[in-house]
This record gives sequence, C-alpha cells and structure tokens, in this order.
Amino acid sequence: MSGMAFVVGGLMPYAAAALFLAGMVSRFRAWYKTPQPAKMTLFPAAEGGMWKDVLAETFFFPSLFKGDRVLWGFAWFFHATLAFVFVGHVRVFTGLADRAMLALGMSPETIDSLSAGAGGVAGIVLLATGVLLLVRRLGMTRVREISAFSDYFALLLLLAIIVTGDFMRFGGHFELADTRAWAFSLLTFSPEVPPKPMFLLHILFAQLLFMYIPFSKILHFGGIFFTHALIKRR
Amino acid sequence: MSQKETVVKSITALDNGPKVLKLYMEMCAKCGTCATQCPVYYGDESRKYNPPDRSDLIRRIFKKYCTISGKFLGPLVGAGDVDEAELQGWVDRFYSCTGCRRCATYCPFGIDNSVITRKGRAILDQLGLTPATMKKVIEVSLKTGNTDGASVEAFKAAISFLEEEMKDEHGIDIKIPVDVEGAEYLYVPPSGDVLVNPEATTGIAKIFHVLGMGDKWTMSSLYFDGANYGLFTGNDADMKKENQNCVEITKKLKAKYLLMGECGHAYRVMKMMMEPGKWWGDLPFSIINCMEWTADLIHRNKLQFDKSKNTRAVTYHDPCNFARSCGIVEEPRAILKATCMDYRDMYPCGAENWCCGGGAGLSAMDSLHDFRMKVSGTKKVEQIRETGAKYVAAACANCKRQIIQLNEYHKTGWDVGGVHDMLSRSIWIDGKAANRKEYEA
Repeated sequence: MSGMAFVVGGLMPYAAAALFLAGMVSRFRAWYKTPQPAKMTLFPAAEGGMWKDVLAETFFFPSLFKGDRVLWGFAWFFHATLAFVFVGHVRVFTGLADRAMLALGMSPETIDSLSAGAGGVAGIVLLATGVLLLVRRLGMTRVREISAFSDYFALLLLLAIIVTGDFMRFGGHFELADTRAWAFSLLTFSPEVPPKPMFLLHILFAQLLFMYIPFSKILHFGGIFFTHALIKRR
Repeated sequence: MSQKETVVKSITALDNGPKVLKLYMEMCAKCGTCATQCPVYYGDESRKYNPPDRSDLIRRIFKKYCTISGKFLGPLVGAGDVDEAELQGWVDRFYSCTGCRRCATYCPFGIDNSVITRKGRAILDQLGLTPATMKKVIEVSLKTGNTDGASVEAFKAAISFLEEEMKDEHGIDIKIPVDVEGAEYLYVPPSGDVLVNPEATTGIAKIFHVLGMGDKWTMSSLYFDGANYGLFTGNDADMKKENQNCVEITKKLKAKYLLMGECGHAYRVMKMMMEPGKWWGDLPFSIINCMEWTADLIHRNKLQFDKSKNTRAVTYHDPCNFARSCGIVEEPRAILKATCMDYRDMYPCGAENWCCGGGAGLSAMDSLHDFRMKVSGTKKVEQIRETGAKYVAAACANCKRQIIQLNEYHKTGWDVGGVHDMLSRSIWIDGKAANRKEYEA
C-alpha cells in the first residue's frame, strides 16, 4: 500500500469523522443556545403543527416551489437523489442491505441489477442536476452577482465526488467486497486500503466535503430546522 | 469609538443572538429565489437591489469576525472588513428595502431579509446616519404623541368637524367621545387618519352608535396616531418609548380593549412584539384590531348595509404588516364584500400579496419619491390595474400615501382609502345609509 493511499484511506477518515462530528456538535449547540427574545412569526403560521411545516419544508421545499419552480426542479431532484445515493452507500460499505433483500426472497443477481439500475440512474441525475445548478449560478446575473468563490467550491466539490463515483459505476465492474473490507478495517482501527486510484479520489473528495460542511453554507441542511421553526411558530 | 469600531461591535454582538440573525448570517445558500419575489428588484434588476447583496453588507463583516472560514479564507467565502468610506452609501442601500418579508415567504430556508435590513438601519442610527425625515418623525411623535405634530386643539377641532359631517349624513347626533376615563374601548387610528382620511374614524363611530355603545368608547387627544417609527429606524429604545406612551394612556383611561385602527405596523408592534414580549409586564387590557372586530360583528349579523352606496369596483391591498406579519387577511375582505357591490381580489393576494413599494417607512420619505414611483411601486401598479378596480382600499397609512402617489404619478384614476371608509358610506343607521356629499368622482 502506497503512502498516499494510506493517508487518504487510512488516516484521513478518522480526521474527517472527528472534524465533522466536532464541527456539527459545536454549530448545533451554538444555534440551540443562542437566545431569541422575540417571535418572528410569518403568516400563514403553522398553528400547533409547526413541526409538520418544518418537515414539509425539509423534504419537499414548498416555499421554493412557490417562489421559483425551475430552481425547485433542479434543487429537489439534486437533493433527493443525493439523499438516495447516501442511503445507497450502505450497500457499498456493509452487507446489511444484501442480507435484508435476500431475506425478502431476492436473488443476488436481482439485487445486483437493481442496484446497478437505481445507482446508475441516480448517478446520471446527480450529474445532470449538479451541472444545471452550476450553469444557473454562472449564467443568471442575479445569482452570479451574489455568489462568492465558496458557492462555486461547494458545487464543484460535490460534482467531483459525483464524477468520480460515476466513473466507478460505469467504468467496469467494481468489487464491493473491497470497500466492505475497507470499512470494516477502519472500524477495527487496522486500515487496509484498496489501491484503486478512482476510489481513492472519490473518497478524498468525499472526506473533504465532510470536513468542509460544518464550516460552510452546506450546513443549511441543519439550519433549516431552526430557521423555519423560528419563523413559522405562532 | 470610531465608526468602524461601532459597526464591528454591533455586528459581532449577533454571535450571541438574536438567534434569527445569527442563523441568517451563516445560512444563506445564495440561490437567488428572493430576488424574483422582491418588489424592488422587480422594478429594477440592479445589483444594489438584489436582497442578498444588501444583506451581505452585514453578513460579510460577521463572517470576517465571527466565523472560522471567514477568518482564514476571507473574500473566498465572502468575508470582508468594514470600509468607513462606504458607510454613507449604506443609507441608500438599507433604505431601499421595503421590509415586506416576501423574500422570507419564498426562501427555502425562511430567511427574512427585512430583519437584516432593520439591523443595518440600527447600525446607521448608532452612527447618526438615520435619514432626517425619519429622525424628525420620531422626535415629533415622542414630543406630541402623533407623527404630524398636531396639537390637542387641532385634534379636537377635527373631531367636532367629523361629528358635524355625520350629522349632515344621517341627520342625527353621532358622538366621538374624547378622553373619557372608564370607557370600555380606546380607539387608536393610524397616522394622520383623523386629519386627512377621516372616514375610517366616522365608520368606527357609526358602528358604536348602531351597537348602542356610543358612550362605551373613546379616543385620546394625547394619542391619536398608532405610528411607531422606531420599528423602521431599527432603534429599539425609540420603538419602546413610543409604545409605552400608548400603553400608559390606555391604562390611565382604564380601557378594557385597545382597539387598533387600520395601521399595519402599529398593530404588529402591539400584538406581535410588545404583548408576547411582555415589554410592560401583563396588560390590564386586550389588544384587538378594528378589522377583526368589525368582521366579527358582520359575521354575527349585528350590522346592515346598503351596498348600492358603493357601486364601483373595489380591490383590497394587503399591507405587509397585516397580512404576512399578523395574519389578518380575511377580515378586511369580509368587510368590503359586505359593504361593496363589486369586490375584486388582486393576484396574488393575502399573505402572498406584493408590497405597495413604500413599506418600512419609505412611504414617508419624499427623497425616495422617484424610487418609489419608478422602482418599488412598479408591481403594485400592474397588480391593481389588472383588477380594473376604481377604489383601492388599503388598511395602512403608509400604503395609502404610496398608492395615492402612484395614482398621481402613473395617472391611473383610482381613489384610495381605507376599509372602514366603505363601511361608513354604506352602514344602515335607523334603516338607511348616509346621505353623503360627493367628495370625489
């Protein structure tokens, strides 16, 4: 195992996890603890069922749907597919999903082709919507003029993860046993890193993302609970 | 303290709250949705009117001093320092937001740029840069209890004039009690209503008369103007002082109900800020809005109207502070539908209605007349035109002033007034409505 591969696949995961967790905890704690002396109710307010409102906003973006339907299309499919792919990675790192599906009576071949089909479509949707979001940010004056480098960086980082992921998905057979062994080796603190360049690139970008999240606007996925809760509260 | 220190101190304080501002500083995804829903940006797609660009004036300083990424990466993450030469320019920037909260309605995260605007104005106030008009209005209303600086005598003269008008209209005495201690209701009209837009006040007087409660209400000669410009300048101390004045007068008159008139921001400060925030502890009176009160009476069939007195097409403009900030949407419509033959909604309406273009105090600023006519009021003119209405009811003195000026500037041929004006013209007293002189075509 080369030194570089060991750094990316053997050491960085621990650093990334630690930084991500510490960052998230400190941000959430700060938000939770900051006082809010006055209510900011925006009508129509959710009477009683505030959390229903907050969850609807989290999963379906209804405010954005009313405000900008085209962006809603890009953004919702991008986020929903991202969440789907995130869950899909359970199968990359553990055999749990396979065991569950085998128990439901599926054959290993069916599971593989299901995974290849769904994962493939997801990979393409993510790439397409990600590029559309980038094109939109560059092409529309009202969005470009309020964008800083960090706004592009977040998208480019995600696109780098998506592209390297797609290469693995579409660039020939990928042995899941390797990644599962890698994940297990990390848990037992005896890292064994598969020496595959595309895989290493993919996890490098992914770990950069996780380390970046707590310190960037990408944390909107956490803040959304606070802001909507504050403004929809009656 | 230097200007820069004042600004930095005020912005870094946000790290400790209020929570909304801290979150708004850290969370905007820069998606650009707010710009599509902003009345100012709709009128002129200049960068200076793009809501997040304005909010970034504060946000970039917060990032530089209060976030890890801003401290280390600076401009790469949109962080930057205070530029003292730029501060004078902040006046135009923060006084070109109408505070209408439409951005918050459509933002996927509910980020309310008006809160950031108010913070910007608060900083300007600390620097002594609040526009002279605004400062003057606050001084005058703290001194005289009303924004026009009208005297007690002028108010009483106006009230007698209104009583004479009602006598002409109905042939009977309908009283407007003044300074009556122990009256059940204290009615506080919006800024300037008694002097320049009196029909809403006669409407209220007529309702009390019909209910047989002519002696159960009063107005105050010391507080006949709900306006609170401290909300607009961002100065919390001024806002509380103006509010305290009203609360103390209500207590002194021992009223059970503070009946607020057709003034959105006054009602918002009372109902959404002062009361829940317990600025003055528990109150010995309840705060209600006259539109809720009247709509309820209509619903309970306590009032009757002769709609043929109001035949022209009427539309209702939702003041932002009533619709989006207080949830008062159906009540004014119930009143207008009961009193007018041809009521038409504009699109969109209610909590999604567009701002008149004069919100957050801008309407009072003559220096912004061109901006309000050519930029921020553009969408409102289009919306009202589409309805074909000839009378625009707006339950807010600022909205009225703005729409009256839009009408003059764009030669649209509307009459502009309040909701209770229509009621005053059509309400039945002893079986018939007012025999009204024609004030306008």
